Amino acid sequence: MTNTRLKNNNLSSILYTLKIGWLYPDLMSTYGDRGNIIVLQKRCEWRGIEAKIEKISVGNDIQRLQTVDFILMGGAEDRQQEIVSKDLKAGKDKILRQLIENKIPGLYICGAYQFLGKYYKEANGNIINGLGIFDVYTENSGSNHTRLIGDIVSQIDPGNPFFNFDSLIGFENHGGRTYLSKNIKPFAQVIRGFGNNGKDQTEGAIYKNSIGTYLHGPLLSKNPKLADCLIKTALTVKYKKEINLEPLDDNLEDSARRVIASRLKLQL
Amino acid sequence: MNLLAILLGQFISFISRSFNLGNGSTWPGHLALKLNHHFISSLLKNSKTQIVLIAGTNGKTTTSLLIKTILESNGKTTIHNSSGANLLNGIASALVLQSSWTGKLNTDYAIFEVDENALSKVLQEIDPQYVLLLNLFRDQLDRYGEVANVAKKWAEALKDEPTISLILNADDPQIAFIGQQLFNHKKVQYFGLSQQGINTPEHAADSTYCPRCGTKLNYKTVYYSHIGNWECPHCQLKQPQTTIEDFPYMPLEGLYNVYNTLAAVLLCKDLDLSEKQIEAGLKSFNPAFGRQEKIEYAGKQLQFFLSKNPTGFNQSIQTIRSLNAKTILLALNDRFADGTDVSWIWDVDFEKLSDFADNIIITGDRAYDLAVRLKYSRQKMTNEKLKVNIETDLNTSIQRALGSTAQTETLFILPTYTAMLDIRKIVSGRKIL
Repeated sequence: MTNTRLKNNNLSSILYTLKIGWLYPDLMSTYGDRGNIIVLQKRCEWRGIEAKIEKISVGNDIQRLQTVDFILMGGAEDRQQEIVSKDLKAGKDKILRQLIENKIPGLYICGAYQFLGKYYKEANGNIINGLGIFDVYTENSGSNHTRLIGDIVSQIDPGNPFFNFDSLIGFENHGGRTYLSKNIKPFAQVIRGFGNNGKDQTEGAIYKNSIGTYLHGPLLSKNPKLADCLIKTALTVKYKKEINLEPLDDNLEDSARRVIASRLKLQL
Repeated sequence: MNLLAILLGQFISFISRSFNLGNGSTWPGHLALKLNHHFISSLLKNSKTQIVLIAGTNGKTTTSLLIKTILESNGKTTIHNSSGANLLNGIASALVLQSSWTGKLNTDYAIFEVDENALSKVLQEIDPQYVLLLNLFRDQLDRYGEVANVAKKWAEALKDEPTISLILNADDPQIAFIGQQLFNHKKVQYFGLSQQGINTPEHAADSTYCPRCGTKLNYKTVYYSHIGNWECPHCQLKQPQTTIEDFPYMPLEGLYNVYNTLAAVLLCKDLDLSEKQIEAGLKSFNPAFGRQEKIEYAGKQLQFFLSKNPTGFNQSIQTIRSLNAKTILLALNDRFADGTDVSWIWDVDFEKLSDFADNIIITGDRAYDLAVRLKYSRQKMTNEKLKVNIETDLNTSIQRALGSTAQTETLFILPTYTAMLDIRKIVSGRKIL
């Protein structure tokens, strides 16, 4: 296996290109989800990797989805989730499943995470079927149960393809409680905050290179190491060789992380 | 009982102001509601005051103040609740403080701005003559819940109140659809624009899908965010006919203020004021605190542009660009009134700010989050190019920003709500809340 190291190239000497598929940017982008796209794109470009953003939404052709090297799908309001569900089941679900099975890395946040699970049970007992890619299910007990809202810190499990020593820092805001079956691993362990259900200390889920998580919005902006792991994995899957990334100056990101950590009385 | 509440409340407020404990804007109302749960309705029942309620994500305070100014300059008397005090206890406070010692309210008009989530409750206590609905944008999801849910609750609350005259934004699909569902209302009027704009919604747009059938809307023109000339290609729901589209005098900069002004003018026209009377009123208008308000401090001119959500921030950036801004102070807090989740800064198009700003100073509790956002809005990541100065101490940041502001130049301040209150306190030397 060759080991290539990437430097701050200018775009005239592009060695690598990544196509980032952004699923339903107009519907599943409730709260700063665009931040993840911007962070991935810039961290590629600053290293001379070309990053193309493919926005894929309702009715757009399915072929474009087939060509992406990375997938991001964010959270949504209930009504918008219905529109997405209808559109996915009209054909995109099969492609998505195929991509995930082929180890295309992806970040599925909040509503998207629930969507990839087996089902979502509403307060009135109504069950909405998910894609069943993640072996998890979600229950929403309705307005008599509080939403799980606030800063969250978690630690990625060792053995996970995206493991690194930095804790993840983010914000969560969800009414649904998600429970994992024995066949699927959580993405991380909760250090502060609620995570999947506020009970078992697990956060998110991981299947092959796909991450489901409740850390919403611009999670990668405060977790640049995870962003780089995702880029690296996407390149490795695409070019079938290990590609190492030149480190970037993350001082501002680290300062932003420290503000939250010190509020939560944590040492980073 | 009401008289007791009024006297006690006025006394508390007097004490609180005398000892400079802030002007005590919600305590008197809190107390009045404790003494009489239906204080508001029982007081209003016995008065001839006409009531106007104003709700929407952005523009409530400015629109209330525009209406108040127009009415007062035409000899009418008004009361209104102070900004931020827009729940039931804030409204009760306004009534306590402005009722006579005989327990009566004697003003011609009461203008109340109402929090998005409080409108249904307020409508249970108050029978207004008018309800003005300005817009619905994504704002602090951790407090308000989802945009479509808010619109649904409003439509439900208004359904059984057919005598209320509605003044609605035709260009905001969610707001317009509220009026389009209410067939029994005796009067529903719309304001909107008819000029040429861009034709794709900006990123921060929330409701580009049909509020009735969920199909993606077609826009002939987008003025900002999801506000524009819209139509559903599937169910043919479309922007309703407007009663007003323009006015000869606009007291404030920015497209968002054109909407606020049109809403205020439409209401005043319905109250039988002439265009001339309205225009004269608008000419005497002074901005509400923090909303394009100008303050002189340390021999320099400062102007505030309260920016508390993506749409508001985008509009502020566009407006200060047209005013040739060079030095800019950005202040991001994440306290309760600001919303504790700052994710929304990634929905703001800061890329547009880098085009024209020479000096950017960043402050506030979450200054570093904003600095990271700005870093990723640039082509290159080198710090020299960034021209960004981070100073978490508010006081120092103001001094530093003033230091980089030329004598003839204005320092433009774009703060979130609590940051605005704090900065304003420093530069004006007094408390407002």
